[in-house]
Amino acid sequence: MSANGNGTAEAVKDTIYRSCLLLDEEKWGEWLDLCDDGFKYSIKAWSPEINYDMTYFSADHNHLTTMTEQLPKHNTDHSPLKRHSTVYAVDVDKDGKTATAITSLVVYQNMLDGENSHLDSGENHLFLVGKYLDKLKIENGKAKFLEREVRIETRRLDKGSHWPI
Amino acid sequence: MPARNHKQWMADPNLPQGEWVDSRIYSDPEIYEEELEKIFKKTWIPVCHESELSEPYDFRTTTIAHEPIVITRGPDNTVRAFLNVCPHRGMMIERRPSGSFLEGQPSGNPKRMTCMFHAWQFDMKGNCVYISREKEGYQDRICKEDTGLRRLRCEVAMGGFVWVCLDDKPESSLEEWAGKPFECIRESIDAEPLEVFHYHKAIINTNYKLWHDTNSEFYHDFMHYHNRVTGFNDEYFARKNIGFEHGHVNVTSFEVNYDEYEGFESREELSFPKFPPNQWFMIDLFPGMNFNLRGSALRCDIMTPLGPNKVMIEFRGLGVKSDSAKDRQTRIDHHNSIWGPFGRNLHEDLIGVTGQGATMKNSTEPRRILHGRHEDNYIHDEIGLRHYYDEWGKWMNRLPSDPMQEYKAPAVAAE
Ligand code: FES
Ligand SMILES: [Fe+2]
Repeated sequence: MSANGNGTAEAVKDTIYRSCLLLDEEKWGEWLDLCDDGFKYSIKAWSPEINYDMTYFSADHNHLTTMTEQLPKHNTDHSPLKRHSTVYAVDVDKDGKTATAITSLVVYQNMLDGENSHLDSGENHLFLVGKYLDKLKIENGKAKFLEREVRIETRRLDKGSHWPI
Repeated sequence: MPARNHKQWMADPNLPQGEWVDSRIYSDPEIYEEELEKIFKKTWIPVCHESELSEPYDFRTTTIAHEPIVITRGPDNTVRAFLNVCPHRGMMIERRPSGSFLEGQPSGNPKRMTCMFHAWQFDMKGNCVYISREKEGYQDRICKEDTGLRRLRCEVAMGGFVWVCLDDKPESSLEEWAGKPFECIRESIDAEPLEVFHYHKAIINTNYKLWHDTNSEFYHDFMHYHNRVTGFNDEYFARKNIGFEHGHVNVTSFEVNYDEYEGFESREELSFPKFPPNQWFMIDLFPGMNFNLRGSALRCDIMTPLGPNKVMIEFRGLGVKSDSAKDRQTRIDHHNSIWGPFGRNLHEDLIGVTGQGATMKNSTEPRRILHGRHEDNYIHDEIGLRHYYDEWGKWMNRLPSDPMQEYKAPAVAAE
């Protein structure tokens, strides 16, 4: 860790936690503002069932921008997803310009639609568990995402989601 | 017609028999159990793909109609299926979804299926090869030779899928059962070994037939923004639904214009062996499986009904085993963008059928579900649904539009 490693680690954590708040609020554009233009995003899971390291979703910055802009044209479950995350580890590279971070992640679905909203709205379901494996760049004391792999354990995803996790 | 009063609402629709069904076929617990006995225990069910147990001694476990099943690949490379039930006192022999018997288990030796409870052991052909303290307990009254596993009909076919039939004497061979509807893509999926690259599951509260219905009708493309913009052209409306014997259906192909959807590219560059680019064939197999070859990726849905209003759907995506890393990634991306758990269409389809499940639960009023669209079998014709339910009626000896009555053929045959 570099001399200013602690400050850098704080900057990394700050960006990760802010990203969670923005994603929780479905502020996709503002989330993407925390990401570098060359940002790469994926959702992956290991399947013991088929013995294969799977990719469930992958996209770059452009693709995420068009995809999230098109969301209003799609039919979507209205139940918001809410994240609980804890940054477990931040490793700042020697030159202090990039860092990697591992964040434990739990995503709950706060039912609005459910199956019958009369019964289900207000209830929470565990939607998925996993980790954010992030790579960030550090500039002027601020951290921006270069890559995010959402490494999930959950393979029973029921209705799934249109939204980035 | 303005909104209807109760009598009007409950009246039969102005359509001939065979063009609508009564929702009790989706919700009645007795009908559900009867379907497992009369249909799921009698027909060929694809349970997994052979690439999921690619090495000798690999195994995979599954369930058909409440019965636990273990699939093994023997040292002779033959894939076999057995009830995953110990003949001693009924323990489930293998508890994991997949793995290898090459390694020994705490209770038993390598290359054996071992029941952990009292350490009985079985080989890959289902022979019982070890009973702990056999002579001491059974003297000569019961021995290994009497206690083999229950073997099941099992075949690897149609692109390397593993098919199981719980009935020792099925009405048709697998080839007679599914050969015809598979003809449209058989050359492509049998040209080279395939490999599964995608697996996820949904357990949702709806009847399995409602998922099958959604897979069998394209009228619901109105729900998919993606399909409306990439699909609704003359060629799309020229797609036909074709019914086959045994209740199976094909939807014929057309060229998809992926570049009409912002952010998507044409999929011309990668297809399946012997499969023209950007084409798309669907096979809907009775009683509830779907094979969908769309350009670069093959999707397969396998349904395990769990109750009248509950089903597990296993989603698989497949490519060609010999794929380069680049081609494989392209197939995966194409698959996921529409069909993945975070893709554009699957989420919408699943919302659709759970919405149906919610209004058709057991003890709600029976509803009349319309299957009466006629468009010369073209894409939005509901012939696929009519064809399926006629077959269902025969297997169940129940009339889909009045399931407490015996089956009788519709006035106009569904074919
Ligand atoms: S139940 Fe399997 S060995 Fe006893
Ligand atoms: Fe659909």
